Amino acid sequence: MVTLNKIIFKSILLLSYLLIIAVVLFLISSLYGYLNTGADRSKILHTKIKKIDQYLPKVTWLEDGNLGRKMNAQTLSEIESNYLDAWFVKNSAFQTNSKIGIDAYYTESARKNIFNIIGANKKLKITIERTTLSHNPDIFLFSEDGQLVVLEDKNVVEYKRVFKDNKFILEITEIANYKVILLLEDGFWRIRHLVKESVSDFDKKTNVALPISTSIKGINYYPQATPWNMFGSEFDINIIREDFNLIKNTNLNTIRIFIPYQDFGRAKVKESKLHKLRQVLDAAEKNDLKVIVTLFDFYGNYAVIDWTLNRRHAETIVSAFKNHNALLAWDVKNEPNLDFDSRGKMDVISWLEQIIVLIKSIDKNHAVTIGWSNISSASILKDQLDFVSFHYYEDKDIFEERYIALKKIVKDKPLVLGEFGVTSYRGFWKPFGSSEEKQAMYYKEMQAVFAKNKIPFLSWTLYDFDKIPKEVVGELPWRRNAQEHYGFINKNGEKKKSFEYIFKN
Amino acid sequence: MNFRNQLFFLFSLFVTCSVTGQEIMKKKRDFVLISKGTHFVAGSTITLEFKGNSAISCEMYCANSYGSTLVKPQLQGARIFFKIPAYLSTKTGVLNWRIVGLKQPLFGSFKIVPKESPSALETYVGPPSIEAGGSDYSMLVVIPTDNLDNPLRQDTPVSIQQQFLASEKNKLIFTKNLIAFKHIFSPLKTGRMLLSSEVLGLNSKEYDINVMPAIATNFNIYSNRNHTYADGNQITTFTTSIIKDKNNNTISDGNFVYFFITNKIGDLLKTSGTTIAGVATAKIIHPDYEENWNIKAYILGMAESNTLKIKYKKVIANFEVAFIKNNRKVTVGPIKSFMGQLIPDGIQVKISIYKDKKILNEIIKSSREGFVSFNLNQSIYKNGEYDFKISTAKVHKTFQSITLW
Repeated sequence: MVTLNKIIFKSILLLSYLLIIAVVLFLISSLYGYLNTGADRSKILHTKIKKIDQYLPKVTWLEDGNLGRKMNAQTLSEIESNYLDAWFVKNSAFQTNSKIGIDAYYTESARKNIFNIIGANKKLKITIERTTLSHNPDIFLFSEDGQLVVLEDKNVVEYKRVFKDNKFILEITEIANYKVILLLEDGFWRIRHLVKESVSDFDKKTNVALPISTSIKGINYYPQATPWNMFGSEFDINIIREDFNLIKNTNLNTIRIFIPYQDFGRAKVKESKLHKLRQVLDAAEKNDLKVIVTLFDFYGNYAVIDWTLNRRHAETIVSAFKNHNALLAWDVKNEPNLDFDSRGKMDVISWLEQIIVLIKSIDKNHAVTIGWSNISSASILKDQLDFVSFHYYEDKDIFEERYIALKKIVKDKPLVLGEFGVTSYRGFWKPFGSSEEKQAMYYKEMQAVFAKNKIPFLSWTLYDFDKIPKEVVGELPWRRNAQEHYGFINKNGEKKKSFEYIFKN
Repeated sequence: MNFRNQLFFLFSLFVTCSVTGQEIMKKKRDFVLISKGTHFVAGSTITLEFKGNSAISCEMYCANSYGSTLVKPQLQGARIFFKIPAYLSTKTGVLNWRIVGLKQPLFGSFKIVPKESPSALETYVGPPSIEAGGSDYSMLVVIPTDNLDNPLRQDTPVSIQQQFLASEKNKLIFTKNLIAFKHIFSPLKTGRMLLSSEVLGLNSKEYDINVMPAIATNFNIYSNRNHTYADGNQITTFTTSIIKDKNNNTISDGNFVYFFITNKIGDLLKTSGTTIAGVATAKIIHPDYEENWNIKAYILGMAESNTLKIKYKKVIANFEVAFIKNNRKVTVGPIKSFMGQLIPDGIQVKISIYKDKKILNEIIKSSREGFVSFNLNQSIYKNGEYDFKISTAKVHKTFQSITLW
């Protein structure tokens, strides 16, 4: 017994020694590790700063008035980068009322001016969310020693949203001209003087509404194998061509497709994705189908600080396809009203508004709309849009009545039913659910209403799907299963009863 | 392009707006602006006065060059005052405001102008050294600011003083786009140029620019040597004339001058030196045999010299060779120089060993006290007949059928 106790005692002692040694070793190694961090020589040269895209307003340089040293591309890109960073840190400073980053991009005398204002704003509990959407700097003078540059930044479009005590006070978009002096200090181009020369309200009014064909008979399209991931690695243009041919043969004339924001590369849209989209549009053109392209799918931030990135995304895609024959319209975002609760209604609407202005400034020939998820949101921003589109998944019996009511509100703008449909799912999760017959009946009745009221429509959707990403309907199996059975064609490629009513003359 | 047009339209829109200064719509409204004035001096107290329904709760958004804030109203009966805070009113530029809380939009803007008198002259001069000759230039940039660190108004006169050697110049320039600047072109002579600026009685400190000589022009070279013999021991020194730039300024110290020497058979030798006070010096050891050298010097990419020809006389006409110790020790010498003295140590002697007309080996040794000896090892050179060729200073001697034993 005594021996056993001794052994236990010894082993506890031994283990505790081991433990203490392990702890001490860990502490020493942490200390050693800590002492080995810190100044890296390469950082002196600012060569290793990794740049992530956080602020990309549209910058157009003019350089015809430079009276000094000839500007080279390298210096110009450094100036641009630092100058935009200066705006970015200022935007952040006004949002948080903190001084972080200002030191790096404003000289000692200039930064005081910002500190004074944010100091006062902090006291008054004023915060300002702000961003700039475009800059047109014109260099007046690049000094001979390359240490000073004087420029005028023309037509700076500044968006500001002012809060006091976290309460929204005002939203304003201004367009201003600034004269700026930048000095090269410690490898940074820092703002020395900033003088606002003129300012006025930015005119957000969009051009005259573009007409849209009221004969839209269409369908929302995803390939059967890759729903919500149309442009991914399994992209197969041959399948898409066959599907388009099938759609054409049903006498439909329009499809609606979705451009996932992240998958397309966010601010820097990938050329490979544009190529795939071009193939899709080409295939649609070949089959006499018009395409409504829905942007910003799976995007849900809307933060002011993100705007410049979103705009680069939209700008790239819209510029690339604005002359494509298959293009019918741009749908800014699918069902953005679903984000009202989580992101704030105003944030979402301001975001939509500025994207509409942007798209319409680039593409003057194609209509712009927003795919609202229900009738009650459908009239939001109607004056900025060329046509109003909405989705309807509610009771079919009151559709006509609600449609007519909406028509009265919207008045002059055409209405398009961007999505509607019903599942044919009946099974374990919904034993008394729908059926193929019910689905067919639904379409039959809806088509009758469309024919009567001449309602342009796009149904949801061509196929039943196998895999639905959880971002779309969540994890719940009864929802997922229902979503899998919205198609006119089942998982085996057979036409369901509803196919007959995909379109009725 | 269309986007540009739109921007241009907007641009022209705001130009018209800013010209009118204060934008007020004429409709019946809650507030009416009473204050007049479209220009205020920075740092002055700026209060906007309105007449209207003071029961309306409102605030004023205002934004200057650096940022924006909200201002609370002060009420006096039916008069409403908004005092622009000092942290906005001290900076120049357009200050735009908008009353928040009214039914009709009420907004406007005014300009804050800098004070008249400067309190600081921020002056930047660079590059700090330029090349004489009138084509290179430096630049002087002056940012005159008032005591609130605002750049002075457009067309503020800035006088630039410039002193160089005997000349003193004064030129009046005017600020434009926040700054005044002047190109400072180099004079023909080298030296130090002093600059200063003055704005409305306020003087800057002194700035200087070094006017450096321009690049070298062609020059002459000379040689200097103790004697003309090719003894492989003395040193020949090459010097250049005082190298000048095109304006007769002595070039900067440290210009690298290469002396390229072409010998009789076309081989190139090279020596070099850097200039001090315009003169570069380079040295090279005499050849150890008769030579004719052509020397030409270059400052690479800039200038070159004349071609200098020098001759070295032969010093070794003949030498003795002795085979001793079974002919296995070959002693060359005494090798004598031009006065009959023993040649200084270090001259090279080469022995080539042939057997049956085929070369077996070549051995090179340097002389010591006028002699060189070669030992022909028995284990390498077996007993038998060999031919030898011995050369030094381009003098050759051959020995045939020497028997080693």
